[in-house]
Amino acid sequence: MASTLRPYLTCIRNTLDAAMCLQNFPCQEVERHNKPEIELKSSPELLLNPVLICRNESEKCLIETSINSLRISLKVKQADELENILTKKFLRFLSMRAEAFQVLRRKPVQGYDISFLITNYHCEEMQKHKLIDFIVQFMEDIDKEISELKMSVNTRGRLVATEFLKQFI
Amino acid sequence: MILLQSHSKFLLQTLWNRLQNLEKGIELDHHWVEFDDVRYHVQVSTKNPHVLLLSVSLPPPSSETIFVNGLPFGAIDAIKAAYGSTVQIKDPPRDGYNLTLKINLSKLPANQDQKQSFLVKVASVREVVLGAPLRVILKHLASRTVAPDIDPLVALVHRPRESFFLVPKADKVTVVYPMRFNDSIDIVLATSFLQEFVEARRTAGLHNTPPCSWSPTPPQELKEVPADALLANAGFVTFVIFPRHVEGPKLDRTVWNLSTFHAYVSYHVKCSEGFMHTRMRRRVETLIQALDRARPELEKKTAMNRSFKRLGIKKDSRNNSFS
Repeated sequence: MASTLRPYLTCIRNTLDAAMCLQNFPCQEVERHNKPEIELKSSPELLLNPVLICRNESEKCLIETSINSLRISLKVKQADELENILTKKFLRFLSMRAEAFQVLRRKPVQGYDISFLITNYHCEEMQKHKLIDFIVQFMEDIDKEISELKMSVNTRGRLVATEFLKQFI
Repeated sequence: MILLQSHSKFLLQTLWNRLQNLEKGIELDHHWVEFDDVRYHVQVSTKNPHVLLLSVSLPPPSSETIFVNGLPFGAIDAIKAAYGSTVQIKDPPRDGYNLTLKINLSKLPANQDQKQSFLVKVASVREVVLGAPLRVILKHLASRTVAPDIDPLVALVHRPRESFFLVPKADKVTVVYPMRFNDSIDIVLATSFLQEFVEARRTAGLHNTPPCSWSPTPPQELKEVPADALLANAGFVTFVIFPRHVEGPKLDRTVWNLSTFHAYVSYHVKCSEGFMHTRMRRRVETLIQALDRARPELEKKTAMNRSFKRLGIKKDSRNNSFS
């Protein structure tokens, strides 16, 4: 499994490098409004082709770009019931703190586990290559955290069981 | 604290405090609740400062378990055996409680160690009362007999309106717990913990422990039980207790561990969730720090300020050395 991780992340990094050319674009429909066009999807000439990168059947990444905003949606691998609830719990925890993260979307896109929304303003405030570094590190950190949480649950379970059973000796 | 202790810490402390201040006429009237809906009430009046009234309320039983006079069978005998004449049972018990005990604090043994162990025993009143039927059955197991007039399948209460089941035989007692949880995350965590019980037993050094198994469906022993008592979203755990597990001093420990098995698993599931929250919060902080590194302006400004200051200091030192 680890052998596909590096190419997957490299592919996402290269795609983001190409897709993250965002510029300020005031709204065409409403005067003096400036909205992320990728969320509205009202004018097809402002949207680029969405790119879907699949690592395997259960892990994929959807990158949708428009003239002033970029949306990245991730689906994380969930092998069994325990990983399922740990992932849901952890990603919900992160999404609720979306304001602190700024580039995180409060609700994931339908069919995915977590989404980012990057606008031209973010690109003006932060360096583009560092922002991409952050996204890729985020993905690695999610995987690491889920597996560490699962291991801590199993270790605790083993300890709890051993202590209980030792009482009977 | 990994294991749940059989004495209530708050009750023990209250008793000790009362004992230190026996001569002072202080009114005492405390209510509190402990896990699985066991309620305590302690009362001391200024008229009789040596007498302490302790009332206990037990979790309400479901339809399969029967309480005799509001107490599990064997409870009155167990209380008399544990406490002797220092403690009297008040009949009827205080309103809203299953049991009221009158303790005469001036009649405690004079020896400090004996006093301490007696108070610990009083603070373990929950173990004595709720564990009484289990104690009766396991005591008979230790002598390889079966208690007279006992049903082939016994249901005992361990949580409000929920019971666990025992199949007492002369050479072994099979204990089956239907594990029920309210929260969906609790269910998944508890299922993984319970499966660890089966795995942990296979490690070396634990061969003498009771054989333990887990199944998602009701096991053979519970054939005749009505379906509503068998709703268990985290499966069924079965332990087989042999006479060697209840010999001598091990009896009390076994009774306590089996009576509070569900509470033990539930406690550790909650601890696990708390630990996960701490981890997640730490991870959020790390990620936000990583994001802050993506901001360039602050770094540039401080670098320029620093180089400005350095030139300034060098100029001054040159002036000083000349003057």
